[in-house]
Amino acid sequence: MSAEAPIRPRRISPPIWQRAAIRRGVLLVLWAVVLLRSSADGRLDLLLRASFHPLVALAGLLLLALALVQLRLGLVNAAAASERASRRQGLLLLVTAALTMAVVALPPAPSFADLAGQRPRDDTAAEEMNFVLPPAQRSLTDWVRLLRSQPDPDLFAGDPVRISGFVLPMAGGPPQIARLLVRCCLADAAPVGLPVRWPGTPPAPDQWLRLEGRIGVEDGAEGRQLVILPSQVTLIPRPARPLEP
Amino acid sequence: MPSARLATAWALFQGLLIEALPFLLIGVLISAAARWFAPGGQWLQRLPSHPVLGPLSGAALGFALPACECGNVPVARQLLVGGAPLGTALGFLFAAPVLNPIVLASTWAAFPNQPWLLLARPLGAVLVAVGLALLLRLVPEAELLQGDLLAERRLALPLSEVSLLERRSGVLGGGGLAGRLSAPAGPARPALAELCRHGGNEFLNLALLLALGCLLAALVQTFLPRSWLLAVGSAPTLSILALMLLALVVSVCSSVDAFLALSFAAQVTPGALLAFLLLGPVIDLKLVGLLGLLLRPRGLLLTVAGAGLLVLLIGQWINLWRL
Repeated sequence: MSAEAPIRPRRISPPIWQRAAIRRGVLLVLWAVVLLRSSADGRLDLLLRASFHPLVALAGLLLLALALVQLRLGLVNAAAASERASRRQGLLLLVTAALTMAVVALPPAPSFADLAGQRPRDDTAAEEMNFVLPPAQRSLTDWVRLLRSQPDPDLFAGDPVRISGFVLPMAGGPPQIARLLVRCCLADAAPVGLPVRWPGTPPAPDQWLRLEGRIGVEDGAEGRQLVILPSQVTLIPRPARPLEP
Repeated sequence: MPSARLATAWALFQGLLIEALPFLLIGVLISAAARWFAPGGQWLQRLPSHPVLGPLSGAALGFALPACECGNVPVARQLLVGGAPLGTALGFLFAAPVLNPIVLASTWAAFPNQPWLLLARPLGAVLVAVGLALLLRLVPEAELLQGDLLAERRLALPLSEVSLLERRSGVLGGGGLAGRLSAPAGPARPALAELCRHGGNEFLNLALLLALGCLLAALVQTFLPRSWLLAVGSAPTLSILALMLLALVVSVCSSVDAFLALSFAAQVTPGALLAFLLLGPVIDLKLVGLLGLLLRPRGLLLTVAGAGLLVLLIGQWINLWRL
């Protein structure tokens, strides 16, 4: 060390873990993991309409890229590396880590019957049906939409029916077979359902069933109404994509 | 069945959060892009300062900077720092969360069968923004804006517009030289590292606030007795007040609030539905902290009171028309 060694002002960087840019990078990775993990493990099918799925995956990838940029800046950029993490950022890290880990570790398991019970029925205006499948191929939602455009149930009496859905308890009556319609996410889910004349005791709420039988017509409180007359009731697991568009 | 209900609330929370996060990211990216491409300068000062044209031009800026209300607070601050007229910046702050393509598209996607809403929502938002800008003009700027924002803003304004006592720096007596002696060309374009730092912090703070808002929204939706909403649903005034309260509490981003409103749309009056869609983007619990970055408590209180009154009046008028 010579006495003439030039004195250069040096930024003193804190240890890596105390650099604000590194912590920002880690926090962004946590949020990216939430979006990417959700995209990969199939839970989006339970939460969002399919058209939003690519947006979620894309946002996750973008966040991951931004996180890598932050981490790199924290390691190689002198100005970024010299910024020390604040106490507030430490708190942010703790809360975000707890929240994101909880989201990743506890996948959603909503009760469809409970959700549907709190929601108003989907009663969007009758749509023009320009294509109608043969009766045995119609889903529950197809039947509900068809009934809206042609509300006379006698038109369908005796038609074969093969549908699946969950059991939705009804106040003051036997449970219906139902599906949830979703336009965006679970928050806007609205139930649609059809009355069933259950053979024997009605099933427990929230069970997923496949019904095979035919369409009947009975006199209900609001006049003649369509009712499913199942000849075969099969317990099925919840479908991979339980929400209908 | 409380455990089933908790499980439902948890699923709703995840649905809301995962759906809103990409939109939040888009907002933050737009705000960062605005800092990069237009860091401020004289074009901002040339925007109209007319009491009505100013807020209208600010509202129109929403189409150029399509951020929801989470993303537009930093953009509005950027406008104020750059020296934009107060009315213009306020018009942007209050109307842009509705008057932008993403929010209009999501409103249309949620209510394709209610075309009146697609017209009434942007019109109502402009009315509320102009009304609030006119109201806040009554308060002197120094008592309205936060101190640090005011100090940064005065650096960008021409000397002739700032009184001698208000200046902290500059050339004394220099105001006569076309009045623009010390008006800078605007802040310099930020470095990439600074842009990343700012954008990263913004996203992380807002994401956590968003998550808390979603948690609250999920719990309210799951545990709020349906009969409570149904009971007020048909009462014209009460239903508007109830949904205004819900908009304040639920704090959902304006790009997704239409989908949330869809779940109670059938139960409430049309005026209440519009009130929910108008008030939420202007003020809610999540925004109080963010707006506190711009406005002093007095300005914030005036905003809450003014927005509440205007939205209530618009809702009443819609109920007279639609019911």
